[in-house]
Amino acid sequence: MTSQTHATPKVKIVKKNRDMNEISNGANTVLNIVFIIAVLVTVIPIWVIIVASFTSEKALTTYGYGFWPQEWSVEAYKFLFSKGSIIGTAYKNTIIATVVGTVLCVASVGLYAYPISRADFRWRRAFTFISFFTQLFTAGTVAFYVTCRQILHIGNSIWALFLPLSFSAYWVLVMRSFYKSNVPDAVIESARIDGAGEWRTLIQIVLPLAVPGLATVALFAAISIWNNFFNCMLLVDEAKYYNLQYTIYQTLNNIRFLREMASQVGALASMVANLPSETFRMAMAMVTMGPIILAYPFFQKYFVKGLTIGAVKG
Amino acid sequence: MAAKSALTPGTAKTLKHNKWGSGEIKRHLAFLTMLLPGLVFLFCFSYMPMPALVLAFKRYQLATPPADYWIQNRFIYSLFIDNEWVGFSNFEYIFNTPDAAMVLRNTLGYNIVFMVLGLILSVALAIMVNELRNRILAKVYHTILFMPYFISWIIVAYVVYAFVSANGVFNQWLKALGQNTINFYSSAQYWPFIFVFCNIWKYTGNNSIIYLATLTGFDQELYEAAAIDGANKWKQITNITIPLLTPTIVLLQILAVGRIFNGDFDMFYSLPNGSGPLKNVSTTLDVYVYNTMKSGAQLGLASAAAFFQSIVGFVLVLTTNLIVRKVSPDMAMF
Repeated sequence: MTSQTHATPKVKIVKKNRDMNEISNGANTVLNIVFIIAVLVTVIPIWVIIVASFTSEKALTTYGYGFWPQEWSVEAYKFLFSKGSIIGTAYKNTIIATVVGTVLCVASVGLYAYPISRADFRWRRAFTFISFFTQLFTAGTVAFYVTCRQILHIGNSIWALFLPLSFSAYWVLVMRSFYKSNVPDAVIESARIDGAGEWRTLIQIVLPLAVPGLATVALFAAISIWNNFFNCMLLVDEAKYYNLQYTIYQTLNNIRFLREMASQVGALASMVANLPSETFRMAMAMVTMGPIILAYPFFQKYFVKGLTIGAVKG
Repeated sequence: MAAKSALTPGTAKTLKHNKWGSGEIKRHLAFLTMLLPGLVFLFCFSYMPMPALVLAFKRYQLATPPADYWIQNRFIYSLFIDNEWVGFSNFEYIFNTPDAAMVLRNTLGYNIVFMVLGLILSVALAIMVNELRNRILAKVYHTILFMPYFISWIIVAYVVYAFVSANGVFNQWLKALGQNTINFYSSAQYWPFIFVFCNIWKYTGNNSIIYLATLTGFDQELYEAAAIDGANKWKQITNITIPLLTPTIVLLQILAVGRIFNGDFDMFYSLPNGSGPLKNVSTTLDVYVYNTMKSGAQLGLASAAAFFQSIVGFVLVLTTNLIVRKVSPDMAMF
């Protein structure tokens, strides 16, 4: 079979078979329908939140949540941006943590992965293992908490929001394969013959070749810090250091609790009336995920590429 | 590596110095300085917490750090000296609480369902994306289905609230149909479905990426040969695609088995919104550790649960890998 593929007539047959090998019209239609349903299931939940944030409070209370606003309103957003302080501090903390944490993560991961990708580094196996082992064995939440609070003293500060997320053993392994497959040995070798030191080789020759990989690390680091909620809840006590996710979690939590109580205890009804309105909270959710949704189409082409590097074993 | 070196004469010799010349020492010093920032992070957040695992065998009450805490940084050593050793009594205590069985059931139950359903759906999605005729549409679908991965669990908690709260979408539908509304936040029976749905919703697109990347790398001639031999699409999938995907599936499942006692803390903690009646179906081991820790009980108890989680997870991943290596050495992770 393979020995004959060079013959011209066979090539034709192969080409014809490739067309034959496509799925039938019927199957293709069925697949498209399945995908459209899946896409709707993915998008509608987000759409409901968007709609709620643009609905007037009265309409939301009367008609509830739905797929189309009964009454358009931008009141929630006006309120949100006028009273900046409610979400402003959280926004500021989140942005600072995300920017600083991402820079640290790209630097530490990019630097760590390079030597262990080099065949002429004698201890590459040992240092690969030091990083990989933390993927297999973790000390757990309590030990992490005690260490951060009692030894590192990063509790109740903005450091808690990004330092624990500023390195990733997983992305070290991905970057290691990336360097191995995208930076030819010959390039490094010629730099050495020209007399460049290891640092200069890394910065001037290797890093420019590694930009797609580093961009992927940056995106995932940024998203993991932006979306992080656990470290803030665990390590931060004061509202002035809260990040966005924890702030909006608390708001949702409080409102549900009070609403339930209010249905039982009449006196609480007036308290509920004074709480941030439901549309306001949905607007908060929108500005929290907004940057990610808006940036998504632009960065998605990078991470598909970046993620597939991770599929390479070894 | 060896193959590449052979192609360029001279490389093999220079890349494999055997003696510690001055150039070699300098190079290794450069390498070590590159490793340094990462090592600091690994040490601080992964290795330094490890000695604190001994807390599981201690009676330990967390105190607020005193003003002169910098002097008291002998903390790690004080773990071994200061507090009373209590042997396995912390473990005995947590395993004898009525919650123990419930927590284990939730942790294992959810994780097994997530693993099995997640595997089937993400492999199916990858194959479907691959088979779709219109490549542009395939990319659009996949891009959209991947998006939930980037949305935090807190936002998902808002979404769930918008659907199941008193005037949420579901209750609006029930009203429209003239049915009684349901108070989801106090009806535990619905929540296993909500958790499973949300987990699938958030992760399937992302999980399918690795399968899709592996799939597209397969030799097309195999499929052409199969088509010539009269194999239909379904036969090609079951006889070529699935067997070729198996190493990737096995590798990812080994990792998943290692995490079987961990759970998605953010999901189980944030989706129920702290609602009491849902505790029975939403308390996984992670949530239990956190709640025990925050309840002000002595830290040794939470630590014992966390210790169990770490050690059992570690043993599980080693065991799974060992079994895989016995059965099929190529598929093992290490």
